[in-house]
Amino acid sequence: MRKSWGLTEGSLVCCGWIAVGMLLQLLTGPIRWDMLAWPVNAVILSALLFGIVLIHLCRSRFRLFRWMATLQAGIPAMVTCAMMTILLGVTRQVPSGHVPADPIGITAMLSFWPFVLSYVWLMLLVGMVCMTRLFRPAWRNIPFLLNHLGIFIALVAGTLGNADMQSLRMMVQEGKTEWRAVDARHRAHQLPISIELHDFAIEESPKLSFLSDVTVHTKSGFTMRDTIRVNKPMSVHGWKIYQYSYDESKGSMSDISVFELVRDPWLPYVYLGIFMMLAGALTMFVWPAGISGK
Amino acid sequence: MVDWTDLWMFALPALLCWLAAALLSLRGGWQKSVYGLTIGGLFIFGTYIALMWHSLERPPLRTMGETRLWYSFFLPLVGLITYIRWHYRWILSFSTMLSGVFICINLLKPEIHDKVMMPALQSPWFAPHVIIYMFAYAIMGAAALMALWQLCRKQDQMSAIDNLTRVGLSFITVGMLFGALWAKEAWGTYWSWDPKETWAAATWLCYLIYVHLRRSHPATIRPALLWQVLCFLCLQMCWWGINYLPSAQGMSIHTYSS
Repeated sequence: MRKSWGLTEGSLVCCGWIAVGMLLQLLTGPIRWDMLAWPVNAVILSALLFGIVLIHLCRSRFRLFRWMATLQAGIPAMVTCAMMTILLGVTRQVPSGHVPADPIGITAMLSFWPFVLSYVWLMLLVGMVCMTRLFRPAWRNIPFLLNHLGIFIALVAGTLGNADMQSLRMMVQEGKTEWRAVDARHRAHQLPISIELHDFAIEESPKLSFLSDVTVHTKSGFTMRDTIRVNKPMSVHGWKIYQYSYDESKGSMSDISVFELVRDPWLPYVYLGIFMMLAGALTMFVWPAGISGK
Repeated sequence: MVDWTDLWMFALPALLCWLAAALLSLRGGWQKSVYGLTIGGLFIFGTYIALMWHSLERPPLRTMGETRLWYSFFLPLVGLITYIRWHYRWILSFSTMLSGVFICINLLKPEIHDKVMMPALQSPWFAPHVIIYMFAYAIMGAAALMALWQLCRKQDQMSAIDNLTRVGLSFITVGMLFGALWAKEAWGTYWSWDPKETWAAATWLCYLIYVHLRRSHPATIRPALLWQVLCFLCLQMCWWGINYLPSAQGMSIHTYSS
């Protein structure tokens, strides 16, 4: 029997992904994340899950598919992601949404094809390894699944859901009601909710704090009055409203308050993944000898 | 009211306790005295942190100097846990020495800052986020030292290094995820690839690789030890290195002390 694939083959596959990524970068330019907005992200998610199940079902036929669920494939994938992340850490990035300032594209690393493909490959392998344990109920699989399925869910939902996340800035004057907000590219949007600012204040004691007394109205006629502070956002109909800024030239006399309005429909899934990972970390701490595996 | 000028009054007795415990454990035997002295030192040093917390009216976690306090506190604690769990005679000497270095830095160069803390840091997430990270750093520091020790002296410490790394990794994971939950609460995004976050992700991945490598290649010792040291270097970059990294200048929300 031929020797099965090992770390060398795993590293070569990763090099292959980087090469493919470079080619895509050259041909199509940086990744346009906004194109992933609903329903494209749902299609991609379905394809990813379908692919993982299909590969899992065909694993007895193909050596490659069996190898994909092993550490021989996983470790080089993790090393590639770590290297890409370190590359991101040492290169100065252009603000998000801007075109890269270098010919290769590493100054806009989050839209750099090889960077993204490295993580996609790693997540595909994590998905595969989850499949091998998912239908084998055993206590010792629980920590393993919490860790692996947790990162899979959090990362996939966070990445695919990113384009559906709306993050807008709304500037409101005291006594006025505002329905419009601008996105990161300064485009105005008419929202289904509005903010009426009654008062903006800066409290110095007991702790420094900015706060806005507001009433939020929705198109359906719902109203809600509350105080928004830094670290104390307000939640209305799927929107979270954060205290963002104020007229700093006037300080506490500012009659303007700036809010950040965020809508993130994929967030519950990201949280599910995060809480699974937290539970997984706890099991790792409680059973440091390594109850999973073996 | 205590401040930085009172540090020596607490640090000196604490260090003396830890030093006595380290010497006793090196000699072997005297276990109850070793435990008692280490815990006594922790109590004295912990009192100082608590008093600082009280007089600053905020958790002392904002500046590098303040986080060094926690590091000095957690190192002997991690040393003690390792000592109780695996009975390494020399671990307390290491942890005491490292703790002493951080205490000396704080004695010679205290970073004095006022009470006011920016509103974004006034969050219930702040203290657990940083304290868990400091604890993880201390554990990883111990693991890296043991790796270096084994590289030089060829004494087998692998099981202890692996155990420490697993525990440290679970703490790093919790610290990182708490950070993500906090960021979502405070800024509306759980992950924004801010330089600190990027290096935290890289560090996390490096330790993940170590844990997986140990599982798939348990007989490969030397590369694993070298990787362990590399992980710790990555962690240093994440902790304070990015403050000096040109690519991170003016980009990070994690550099508050301006």
